[in-house]
Amino acid sequence: MAHSQPHSRPARPLVALGMLGTQLDLGSTNKRWEKWRPTVGLCQQPDMLVSRLELLTGSKWTDLRKQVSADIAQVSPETKVVPHTMDIRDPWDFEEAYAALLAFAAKYPFDPDREDYVVHITTGTHVIQICLFLLVESRRIPARLVQTSPPHRSSDPAGTAKIIDLDLTKYASLASRFAREHRDAINTLKSGIRTRNKAFNRTIQDIEHVAANAIDPMLLLGPTGAGKSQLAKRIYELKHARHLAMGPFIEVNCATLRGDSAMSTLFGHRKGAYTGAASDRAGLLKAADKGVLFLDEVGELGLDEQAMLLRALEEKRFLPLGSDEETQSDFQLIAGTNRDLYIDARAGRFREDLLARINLWTFRLPALRDRREDIAPNIEYELDQYAARTGKSVRFTTEASEQYLAFAQTPQATWAGNFRDLSASVTRLATLAEGGRITPTIVDHEITRLNAAWHASQLDSSLATPQASFADSADAAILTRAMGTRAQSIDRFDAVQLAEVLRVCTRARTLSEAGRELFAISRTTKASVNDADRLRKYLARFGLTWDTLPRD
Amino acid sequence: MISIDGSLGEGGGQILRTSLAFSAALGIPFTISNIRKGREKPGLMRQHLTAVQAAKRICDAQVSGDAVGSTHLTFEPGALHGGEFHFPIGTAGSTTMVMQAILPALMVAPQPTRVTIEGGTHQTHAPSFDFFARALVPLMNRMGPRVEARLERHGFYPAGGGRIVVDVMPATSLLPLNLLSRGGRGKPTLSILLAKLPMNIAERERERVLAKLTIDAPPQCMHFIDSSHSPGNVVLIDVPCEHVTEVFTGIGEVGRPAESVVDHVVNEVRQYIASEAALARHLADQVMVPMAIAAMLTKQSGGSFTTLPLSLHAKTNLQTIAAMTGLTCEASGDRIVTVRI
Repeated sequence: MAHSQPHSRPARPLVALGMLGTQLDLGSTNKRWEKWRPTVGLCQQPDMLVSRLELLTGSKWTDLRKQVSADIAQVSPETKVVPHTMDIRDPWDFEEAYAALLAFAAKYPFDPDREDYVVHITTGTHVIQICLFLLVESRRIPARLVQTSPPHRSSDPAGTAKIIDLDLTKYASLASRFAREHRDAINTLKSGIRTRNKAFNRTIQDIEHVAANAIDPMLLLGPTGAGKSQLAKRIYELKHARHLAMGPFIEVNCATLRGDSAMSTLFGHRKGAYTGAASDRAGLLKAADKGVLFLDEVGELGLDEQAMLLRALEEKRFLPLGSDEETQSDFQLIAGTNRDLYIDARAGRFREDLLARINLWTFRLPALRDRREDIAPNIEYELDQYAARTGKSVRFTTEASEQYLAFAQTPQATWAGNFRDLSASVTRLATLAEGGRITPTIVDHEITRLNAAWHASQLDSSLATPQASFADSADAAILTRAMGTRAQSIDRFDAVQLAEVLRVCTRARTLSEAGRELFAISRTTKASVNDADRLRKYLARFGLTWDTLPRD
Repeated sequence: MISIDGSLGEGGGQILRTSLAFSAALGIPFTISNIRKGREKPGLMRQHLTAVQAAKRICDAQVSGDAVGSTHLTFEPGALHGGEFHFPIGTAGSTTMVMQAILPALMVAPQPTRVTIEGGTHQTHAPSFDFFARALVPLMNRMGPRVEARLERHGFYPAGGGRIVVDVMPATSLLPLNLLSRGGRGKPTLSILLAKLPMNIAERERERVLAKLTIDAPPQCMHFIDSSHSPGNVVLIDVPCEHVTEVFTGIGEVGRPAESVVDHVVNEVRQYIASEAALARHLADQVMVPMAIAAMLTKQSGGSFTTLPLSLHAKTNLQTIAAMTGLTCEASGDRIVTVRI
């Protein structure tokens, strides 16, 4: 007796599943052998051995099934034909056909580890073929498709058979096409800028994957001007191109929404819902139906709006202001924020359930100062944008370019407003360029301007947020330098003023010069000026004299 | 273990069948790679698998890589044995091609054999049963064993369903086969097989043969077959000679005019008659393996024959023989080639 001890894992036997073709498989006379019959031909391929054929047949076609089974037994004794009765009253009725095939698939004991399945889609009505395709595509049937075709040039009635694997990555030319699409998509997301920052590039790759494959909310984190809004628009373009978002792109900054109008702007209202609601308004959520809604600074949204947004996200319906009828909108949400929403949630300023809902795909965009290697390509991009906008092509001189880039990449260039700053800066440079050339002088002035702007913004931010501890502040350091430990005995009320006075004195050459600067406004309205005296008296109140002050 | 490069020369299934025949007959394990490399569909086709499986049965071989599309096969024969075998192969391959892989071994098996094969008996790209029974079998019998082949039912493509039964009374060793001359030639005879097709096809064919050849072709040479499952048409011309009978076969196909079938066979017959060679191409291919087995078993010459200029197919066969057995086969001559094994 033959002993079988295979040296390698034997190939899985091929099991085909198909409908008996009540037209194409027909034939009872000898003439049938001259005719292409797909189900018989399937079992007759020189390069494909069907070990078992699961043949679905309507009960009124039993005779044909027997004939086909007998013919298969003759031409392919290796094939075992297993008949299944499947009665579909109207094989052109999608619902009925799908239900019948789905029931069959659910019951069938697929064992893909041991058997290799193919679904024959040449026979049956087009509707049956579509149903079979859908079942394979959705993996309810773990199979590849097999398509048989009538003979082309040859007279061989067996025809041909082609296995179609729906795993598209298995096709080299398609794979390279996908790779190209993938590259194009990433390029779109990067606005064509050849960014070099690894973290940023990885983030963009992830975003591309999610944008092209999911319709879940996305959350973009990052400081103002890091490009959240631009990126959201690009994500939309990508989704639109891939038919994942057919509707429009709607963008709104939640910081601009306040009060009743916030609700109404987002969710719409009925005429007369509140004072000034003179007519029906659909609202932005409705406008974004089938499209993408970008809510920038989502952390600024009021709690009521948050609740409504959550419902709109979860149920795709919401109640416009003053209406008792719900509106439907199927939009995809992209939210942006520069706040830490976890802190906001803990403080009760942001709903935790909403955060959980939008925090599924979260991407952090780094600040420009953390992407110094991307500054050069972004300058190029901004110059191109300027040229596109104005029709004027502007370039740096070599020297100016080096100078600007060197400054842009130093730590003192904080790029507080991120890409917004860079864009504005390049626009200024380009506008001031002479004969299309940005010269070192122009760059010099721009650097001064940027430094001043960032200094001012630092001041703004120090105004905006009171320092938690004065002892650690720059002001405290100035006082300590001038007065030593005595500085600690001065009220915070006085300390701030004194610190600024000392700052001016430190720079000034004489008492009078310092006085002129400190009283620059009031001295213009006074008949007699005694700035130096006023300053000397002020310093004396703190036991300080001009001569003992520290100088630069 | 002998390694065979399946892409050698003509690079088709012949290399595999020849290797299987030696392996089963002489107990030589082998591995073959690059099977049908470079073909549109590389690797083993079903027809090759049927040959592998039949060979596996007669010598209880351990086989790996025996799957459709496999480009690598390892075949380790066990003990060769005769007995009763039944191989239903459908239309994947031909009954005679399966015999090619197993007959040489069955001729030297320890027991007699009856093998029944169901499938095609007359199809393109394969020896016809008539060629097998009337041209090859007599030569095999001349080497010692007694081989009898009978056709129980014709099997034409695509329905198949034919059946042949081959009885083999083996010999302990094989005698050399020497066929340097065909001897005196008799008058060729025609037979036409026609199954489930209009009679006038056979008549047209007969008339055309008669117009082209001096041949024995009475009306009774047309055989109308009812038992086959599908239509079929075969034109057979036997050329009986003193030392050998050659059989030439033309297979009718859908869409191929009867005249074209006839002309092709007639050309082969004319070429053979015009030459002095003992064997035409197909028969030469078939006798090489048994002759080499005879040489291996007797440690003497397996014989010699003359034939028409060697086809790539024949050259590949000789290369495979050399690779499997280490024998040096001599082929010399130009218009008539003398092969010594």
